[in-house]
Amino acid sequence: MLGFQNQKNVCKIICMMGVTILTQFPTGNRTGPETVEVLSKRILALGAAQQGQFLVDCDTYTSIPQLGPQRTVHVLHNSEQPATVFSLLESGNKTIPLAADGLFDLLMMKMSSFYTPKKQTKAESKGLRYEIGDFCVKLGTVTVSSNFKGILVEVEYRPCVVPAMCWDLLKEFLQGLLGQSAPGNLPAYLQNRVQEIYSPIDTIHQYLEHFTLFRKSPGGMGLRTQ
Amino acid sequence: MERDLEQLNCALNSVKTLRSNVRRVFESVSNGLRADHGDEGKENKFILELQELLTTVNNNLRDVENSVSNLTPPPGAFSLGNTAYLSQETTQERQALYGQLVNSYKWTDKIREYSALAGNILATNSFNKTYKTFSTTKRRKTQSSNHNVSPEVIENLITSIDRLFPDVTITTNRPFVPNPVIQASLGRVLKAIIAFKGLMIEWVVVKAHAESNDLWTESRYKVFRKVTENCHAAMCHFHSPMMPELAVRSFMHWFHSYNTLFSAPCKRCGNHLHANLPPTWRDLRTLEPYHEECK
Repeated sequence: MLGFQNQKNVCKIICMMGVTILTQFPTGNRTGPETVEVLSKRILALGAAQQGQFLVDCDTYTSIPQLGPQRTVHVLHNSEQPATVFSLLESGNKTIPLAADGLFDLLMMKMSSFYTPKKQTKAESKGLRYEIGDFCVKLGTVTVSSNFKGILVEVEYRPCVVPAMCWDLLKEFLQGLLGQSAPGNLPAYLQNRVQEIYSPIDTIHQYLEHFTLFRKSPGGMGLRTQ
Repeated sequence: MERDLEQLNCALNSVKTLRSNVRRVFESVSNGLRADHGDEGKENKFILELQELLTTVNNNLRDVENSVSNLTPPPGAFSLGNTAYLSQETTQERQALYGQLVNSYKWTDKIREYSALAGNILATNSFNKTYKTFSTTKRRKTQSSNHNVSPEVIENLITSIDRLFPDVTITTNRPFVPNPVIQASLGRVLKAIIAFKGLMIEWVVVKAHAESNDLWTESRYKVFRKVTENCHAAMCHFHSPMMPELAVRSFMHWFHSYNTLFSAPCKRCGNHLHANLPPTWRDLRTLEPYHEECK
């Protein structure tokens, strides 16, 4: 239909979404809620309308020693795709993504004797969702096992599906919203995939990267990741 | 004809006056003596009033007779043609057909009249949207109608456009033979659903790839709705009834410039975004990108 060469791309088109950039916003010497307040005032002043809430969460499981070299499974949920469970299996230096339906959670529970949940690592980003023109902005407060860790700003430009085409446009939008804290380059994960069609799993990859960094960081502080 | 109608109207009016005055006579008779006739000589007053009324009725009656004698009787029975058979219809629900028939006849009559007028007016103010003047030596074969061309001609045009731009993919379907509706995918940026009427572009809708190919619903994205608007403007700009093929080609050439919709900054202000929209306008000659407000 679209004249693309391979089957993989056609599959991705069915579940494609707008290009999304996830970036951390430093809290500086403000508290988390104060920072969110500042950002939400800014976005409302730009003419955005609040459209509900959102939640992205991540559980991590590790394989038991009897299964050989240790593997890690990250299971993520995104309220934007409520019927889908995303999982990323880290095995050696490979990461295998999988998008499954809601039953996958129950499957993980069944496998609890092989994959045990890591203690104290449930990461969450939740907050309010705003729509402004064709952009969708989410201001998320990140907690790791209920400790505040920082602020994640997600900006989606919904009409465009190829990162290379709309990166400059998104950069301009992010600079307008975040000022000095806006990222100057594409997120590392997207840099190798700029010509590919963006899909929800790409957003999940970005969230996992940030969650991993937050887990390693000692506490609630505005540390820059880029 | 005109005079006949006038007289008929006049006669109908005098019948109306006669009826209303006769009614007044009966009213007065049925009321009998009233308080406003007073006490003295009330019978006389009543009779006088009645006489007056009867005189008016008499005058009215004369008017009616006069106006009726002025009318010219129709030369014979009206010929209703085949519609006469409608009166022989027995089923209940079809008996109303005659009224509808008369109404639609009136409408078509009006359409004929108005289109004749419009034709006259347009003929005196002829406007020519082509820049080219036809020289007698190189006159092209003019097509008698651009609405009704054979499907092969349109097919050839579409295939040639498809070959012209490598990143435009065109798929065709024909829900209304021979007028095709094509989906033109412009790279991975957008797609346009274009309906043809003969060799002319009739309607354009621009949407995201993930959206339906329906011709009637607009895109859910603001940017594509704006581009649709601009496509309509360009469609009218390039429209040229004399050279429909050239019009379609120029339109497609212009449309092709949207492959940089998200990546090209505005030529005037140098920014990508204005009011949260990328530059949605493309200059009709230079094909340079501009914001709606910057052009």
